[in-house]
Amino acid sequence: MIVKVVEKDVMDPVAETGDHKIELNKVNPDFKKLTLFNNTKPGADVILDYLGENLGKSELIRVKKPAGAPATPNQIKKAAMGDVAILGLGDCGSCSSWVILDAIRLEKLGVPTISICSTSFSEFSHELAKAHGAENLNIVKVQHPIAGTTTSEIQDKTRQILPLIKELLGNLEV
Amino acid sequence: MTDGLPILPPTKERVLKLLNYTDLDPHETVTVLPPKMGMATPEKIAINSVMAGCLPQFMPVVLNCVKSLSCEKFNITGINATTHPVAMCTIMNGPLSKEIGTGSGAGCLGPGNLANATIGRALRLCMINIAGAVPGVGDHATMGSPAKYSYAFGENETENPWESLSVERGHDRSVSTTTVIAVEAPQNVNDHRSQTAEDLLDTIAKTASTPGCNNSHVPGEFLLIMSPEHAKTVYNHGFSKQDVKEYLHEHCIVDVELADRGGRKIEPEWIEGGHVHITRSPEDIVLVVAGGVGRHSMICHGFGTSSESVTLPIMLKNGVIPKSVEDFKK
Repeated sequence: MIVKVVEKDVMDPVAETGDHKIELNKVNPDFKKLTLFNNTKPGADVILDYLGENLGKSELIRVKKPAGAPATPNQIKKAAMGDVAILGLGDCGSCSSWVILDAIRLEKLGVPTISICSTSFSEFSHELAKAHGAENLNIVKVQHPIAGTTTSEIQDKTRQILPLIKELLGNLEV
Repeated sequence: MTDGLPILPPTKERVLKLLNYTDLDPHETVTVLPPKMGMATPEKIAINSVMAGCLPQFMPVVLNCVKSLSCEKFNITGINATTHPVAMCTIMNGPLSKEIGTGSGAGCLGPGNLANATIGRALRLCMINIAGAVPGVGDHATMGSPAKYSYAFGENETENPWESLSVERGHDRSVSTTTVIAVEAPQNVNDHRSQTAEDLLDTIAKTASTPGCNNSHVPGEFLLIMSPEHAKTVYNHGFSKQDVKEYLHEHCIVDVELADRGGRKIEPEWIEGGHVHITRSPEDIVLVVAGGVGRHSMICHGFGTSSESVTLPIMLKNGVIPKSVEDFKK
């Protein structure tokens, strides 16, 4: 039920926001090193393993990070050794937040990124990226849910996003 | 937007009365709050506090709490967005807490006290309207929790046999502080029969050691609110506050098979034999004394490794410790 209350001369409780923008990085199609940044959410390893096996890059850098909190400086440093980083998995509120914010940290270090978030959290992830000045951050939607599903189901869902990820990575065959 | 309950309309006149109790410029940015990255100014904080029903004298406390949310270790980004039903709990200590009538005795976590009810509510409204933590939009709690409406109380310093949380964290008794801690709604521990500290602490430990909490797979802080009677039993058997923490850290454990069903894979270093401790160290047990007569304590599980509580002294802009909220008046 929506109740309409009208009272004159009340002040607005909603805050203003800034309008800063950050520069995002383009993928060099000839890149060599791919970082798979795993936040250890259930199924994140399956998704990243599948991508690692099917993106045709021999040099993979695997880094783990916390799910609901920022990556440590060392984890970011290691992740930034890749020419491109794929982060997963955002399939809840706090983990999506820190997939996006850690992706932005990497973008600020000059590393192009792709964040994988589930369909239920992709809209929020886009809004969060926008609020942090990164409206066009690469966020790929994988079908929710991932947690509580089998390895083969997760691989099937990852197979569906593979073409888009290849496209975002440049000249890899789709 | 509101929390669903009726609000007091934030007229300019009402808002100015609250702004009279801060020495900050109404439009300066105190902090920026995610997910929307809204700029928390004293004016916006005051507007939301009026809506919550705060008296003007509560303004220094609400503002101090909002300030503390920006500490990186609190992780307000994760707390606001998570599917977990974590709420922001505020614990008030010191003379200003007494001055504004904070409830620290009977029913301090329930209804009936204006300061507790409206300060906690003001913080929630700030999260909704300043941070953009709107349920289903910027706050993704699967179900949320009644604790997300309001969750604030004072420590019962007069009946605490140990040092208060504020003193434990390095502040003089004359300093007023607020502590924000990200925790679930409280879980009661009813123990009327234990005669020894160990028996009573065992009841608390067994109640705390549950696999479904965040602490089980990502060990971290939990809040223990001990009633004065429980605290007295433990204290009279020679337990210091540190002894209590060490005992509980040792005995709050969950079988690893059950614990490893949470959102994040358990780190191997947290596994000890067939179990995990729900805290990383004794310091993760945040122990306060509150409440009235009765043999009940409360356990509030935390968010896990990803958030740590923040205790911040209430100060004037020039760094002077106020003796009264009236010191803020311009």
